[in-house]
Amino acid sequence: MADELELLRRADPVPAHGPHYGDGPLDHNAERRLAALLNERPAVRRRPRLVWSLAAGTAAVVTVLTLLLSGPGTTPAVAAPRPLTIRADATPVSLTELAERAARQAATQAQGAPKLRKGTHVQSWSMGMSDDKPPVTLPEERVVRWKADGSHTELVVATDPRHPGRPVLRDDGGAPHLVEDGHVLTRHSYPPSWSDAPPESTPPHDAARLRAYLQEAAYTRTPLTTPELLDTIDELLDHWTLGARESAALARILANTAGLRPVGRVTDRLGRSGAAYEYRSAGTRRLLIMSPSTGQVLGLETVFTKADPQYGVKAGDVMDYSAWMR
Amino acid sequence: MSNDEIFAAAYREHYWAVSRYVARRLDGRAGEVEEVVAEVFTVAWRRRADLPESPLPWLYGVARNCLANAVRGHGRRRRLVHRLGNDETAHGRQIVDSPDAEAPGAWVHEALARLSEADQEVLRLTAWEELGIDEVAVALGCGSRAASMRLHRARRRLRAEIDRLRPALTTGPTATKEHGHG
Repeated sequence: MADELELLRRADPVPAHGPHYGDGPLDHNAERRLAALLNERPAVRRRPRLVWSLAAGTAAVVTVLTLLLSGPGTTPAVAAPRPLTIRADATPVSLTELAERAARQAATQAQGAPKLRKGTHVQSWSMGMSDDKPPVTLPEERVVRWKADGSHTELVVATDPRHPGRPVLRDDGGAPHLVEDGHVLTRHSYPPSWSDAPPESTPPHDAARLRAYLQEAAYTRTPLTTPELLDTIDELLDHWTLGARESAALARILANTAGLRPVGRVTDRLGRSGAAYEYRSAGTRRLLIMSPSTGQVLGLETVFTKADPQYGVKAGDVMDYSAWMR
Repeated sequence: MSNDEIFAAAYREHYWAVSRYVARRLDGRAGEVEEVVAEVFTVAWRRRADLPESPLPWLYGVARNCLANAVRGHGRRRRLVHRLGNDETAHGRQIVDSPDAEAPGAWVHEALARLSEADQEVLRLTAWEELGIDEVAVALGCGSRAASMRLHRARRRLRAEIDRLRPALTTGPTATKEHGHG
């Protein structure tokens, strides 16, 4: 009888010379994903990437309808939204100062301070791109609530708080269409589940341990680079609503992160006042928005700084934006 | 070559090998496989500065984490666990016939499934991904000596399970004593 490794080899469920996944040229999807990565455009997200492309004001619905009626191949009918406006601040709050404020906040308000809570409440706008259609921006609100027994619910609705009551653009099934404001996209209840792996496991409230946690959440054994850290914070806040102590630890990590520059104040898309910190990389600019008093992360915006005509993207278009709430 | 060019070359060269790695662990379900493979290369893209000269074992390591995450992740979790645990029929359809038994894949898989996840992975990396021990070490994120020892022990345990499941074969004329119970 053959040895055990040979037996196992013969039982390979997906052999290299089998009918599926055999070596050869990439297929269309694989090529498309490679092109997206090389263009610095994340192609995979755990939740749909929302995009900002509705024109402001009353023109929004008209332009959406133009898009719907004119179809692909024409000039993008849905104008890209404007990035947040930064108001220059003579003395912008440094992240070090912000981290100290956050630590004081966590220490002095121990009783009444916000507590860590599993689940999230996030409003987001994501740009959906393809190589044969204009980009579209899809706004949605997502609420995830965990219960004491380990079960949780997830509710996702199409809504744009900047345009209450107006129809909202969706891109389900590949064809952009309008749905009413507040239209329920998904509503799920999940039975009790448990995981000891970040970002499902409880985030620590000590900066060093939180840093290790984020590194594990990003599947890397090397310290996170600044863009990796921002991606992972996005991931973390899509799973957890941080308490004052965790926000303070996160602010401390950010204070020790290279390349984040205080640029001034903003009013975010939910009307909240925030201190803005910018990180620039090839092709994009990330803007991290934090509460100037508590150090809580309020939002993260990614803006294209280079046009990409292949995808109908212009410099200044917002690729995605998340605003986290309690 | 720049990091981006090196990444693109690795992507083209290893896309299908990574797909097979993922498919072997997800019962070859095309929809899930493509999604997980896309995530593997997204993670690899973020870490492209770390891409080693021989990237495939490293990519398998990334894929292992992505698969673990896919299984843990809420939403997909129940579905994947169910598929990973219960889909005997998918195995049966795809297994290559072996000359020395009527449906050898099924019982070899059953023997494999009785081992710990760590034992299974070192065996799969060796037999299915055909990695050498140094490459297995990279994929598992451990030293070569540790990988070698893990493989040795896992082989003994697999052999024991095979013997338990197929006593008739192992006591036959072609059975080899040295591969006996460990």
